[in-house]
Amino acid sequence: MWLSDKIPPMNEPALIQDAQNGDLDAFNSLVLHYQDMVFNTALRILGDDDLAADAAQEAFISAFRSISTFRGGSFKAWLLRTVTNACYDELRRQKRRPTTALEPETEDGEEMDSPRWLADPNMTPEQKAEADELEHAIQHCLNALPVDFRTVVVMADIQGLDYTDVALAVRVPLGTIKSRLARARLRLRECLQGFWELLPAAFRLHEETHA
Amino acid sequence: MNFRDIELLSSYLDGQLNLSESARLETRLSSDPNLRAVMDDLRAARSLLRQLPARKAPRNFTLTRKMVGLKPPLPRSYSTFRFATVLAALLLFATFALNGIAPRLTFGAAAPAAPAYGMGGGCDNCNGEFESLEAPATEAPAATEAPAVEPSLDTQSSPTIMPTSTEETARIAETPSAKTGESESAGQDQVPSGGFVPASLQVGLAVFILLSGLTAFLMRQSAKRKWQ
Repeated sequence: MWLSDKIPPMNEPALIQDAQNGDLDAFNSLVLHYQDMVFNTALRILGDDDLAADAAQEAFISAFRSISTFRGGSFKAWLLRTVTNACYDELRRQKRRPTTALEPETEDGEEMDSPRWLADPNMTPEQKAEADELEHAIQHCLNALPVDFRTVVVMADIQGLDYTDVALAVRVPLGTIKSRLARARLRLRECLQGFWELLPAAFRLHEETHA
Repeated sequence: MNFRDIELLSSYLDGQLNLSESARLETRLSSDPNLRAVMDDLRAARSLLRQLPARKAPRNFTLTRKMVGLKPPLPRSYSTFRFATVLAALLLFATFALNGIAPRLTFGAAAPAAPAYGMGGGCDNCNGEFESLEAPATEAPAATEAPAVEPSLDTQSSPTIMPTSTEETARIAETPSAKTGESESAGQDQVPSGGFVPASLQVGLAVFILLSGLTAFLMRQSAKRKWQ
């Protein structure tokens, strides 16, 4: 999905080591490489652009402060753990100040921000609008999940982490990851059936039964 | 079908089952259309999520030194100035403390000789009242007069005490009153023995603190400006 994310920066270990020695420029190179992935993760967990930007910024700040605790392994998974923490902090803050709605107000997603996602420039306006709506529908169903399920499904299915890295990023045992992922996928499928007319034909597997 | 089956299917999709688990599940899948339907559902949900468009970060999240609380490199003389400022401030505080404590210490030494006068001076009204009720008549005037704060009253009181007190008390009582007269004109009515640390030294210290502190502050500001 994100080719640049799949490939770590050429000299990632050296950049990490320099950052561990307090080199902010080295750390900022890592920030530039991972910021889209970090923002996207926060966006899918929080479902709001502004909150996601805040959480991403917070995540990078706390990552820089605690980078000395990184002991090798997947830096992406380690970074995603700080993102998860930042998102949970953000959600706790929202709970204390419940004025901002985290979830879309209406089913058709009219209250949500207009997406500025990476659209295929060759898409027709109709295709774009449809994809737009599909994205809203998926985000709506993600928001309807309990946050623990949502985080796991975002890490595994959106960020493409393997189970061990998800367990590392979310700090729960592997068995819990498996069961949360199964539940989350099942609930998402049920929720998305409500938007079946938006789904690409290949996904309308049981439309007769659900329609 | 139970939740365990759903979990197995979900793990199977991710290739997380071992060979024997996979084989067993595949056999069941071939014979159970319900199981197949659930797997298709799970796979559909997974594919939809994987096809979610990636959104670009709305801005760069690169960190500034200020955001992570890194401090700019300061010239070495900065710490000297800062240390000197703190030291001078402590010294200045010590001079005030010394001027404040010294006369009380003198009173404390005199207390055993003239208990009524010493206690009356130490606690303003409370002891004065208490002693005027219980103390012997000869000491009563001293006790009632001692609480008075104004130095002028003290100067008046010392002669009245003299006849009733011992020689020592008279000397002690006289010394502060004489000094108070002097220091009153200098505007220091609280410090009967203002001469422990001369005021000029205190003023000098204060000026030094200001200058040295200001220099350190300006050094830091200029270092910060260069840093950014």
